[in-house]
Amino acid sequence: MPPDNAGYMYAAYIIGGVLVVAYAVYLFFRTQRLK
Amino acid sequence: MIDRSRALQLVRRGQIITVIGLVGFVGLIVRAMAFTPVEIRQGPAQKIMYIHVPAAWGALMAIFMAGVLSAAYLWLKDDRVDRAAAASAEVGVAFGAVMLTTGPFWGKPVWGAWWVWEARLTSTLFLILLFVGYLVLRDAVSDRANRARFSAVIGTMGLVLVPFVHLTVYMFRTQHPEPVILKPEGPTLPPAMFWTAMLGVLVFTVLYFGFVSQRYALAVLEELKEDEMQNAA
Repeated sequence: MPPDNAGYMYAAYIIGGVLVVAYAVYLFFRTQRLK
Repeated sequence: MIDRSRALQLVRRGQIITVIGLVGFVGLIVRAMAFTPVEIRQGPAQKIMYIHVPAAWGALMAIFMAGVLSAAYLWLKDDRVDRAAAASAEVGVAFGAVMLTTGPFWGKPVWGAWWVWEARLTSTLFLILLFVGYLVLRDAVSDRANRARFSAVIGTMGLVLVPFVHLTVYMFRTQHPEPVILKPEGPTLPPAMFWTAMLGVLVFTVLYFGFVSQRYALAVLEELKEDEMQNAA
């Protein structure tokens, strides 16, 4: 049986996803301001 | 002469590529969680690989490109090359943040420690901090020619340090595993895991082009605004 450590996977996916989306949103609003 | 309409066109293209990348990112998470087998010894935490390794690929590729472009700027003295280097460096730092924050969540259950001061982790952290310094330096120097020249000197370090970071696992006794994809004798992952990792690499490559296009166009728009303000003053 593999160890039950899915919590670490969820945490990493959430943090990674938040960072990627946050950078996409940051670029979007920064360019919108200069348009 | 900088063309505003072309910059806006590039923003639009960058946004479209980014949206494709973000949709791919969701697909990557779904494939990794639901359609990729669980590794028997490490458990579900091993699936962090499908975001950690592609983020590392994206970060190191972006910083290496910043290095190539920085060296090219020192030779060509072309503003476009400087903007592209800065765009690539910023995206490298953003992907580096993903790499450095997801890694510890894999390290804790598998190594028993969030962080270990060994060669791969330490050299990667210092590489990202060097490029944080690069971005801070760019913000601190207002003269464009000086900013481009100073930052190109630091940026060129990416050319040397990225191969060094990649080779640390061979050069030193490290806790970090050796590559399972980018190795001379070919990948050693089971096919289902390999293709999920490849999807991750593709997603982060698409995001790289989307982000860099937008960041490059943003630099053009910022320079135009600076010029407008100087002309008005």
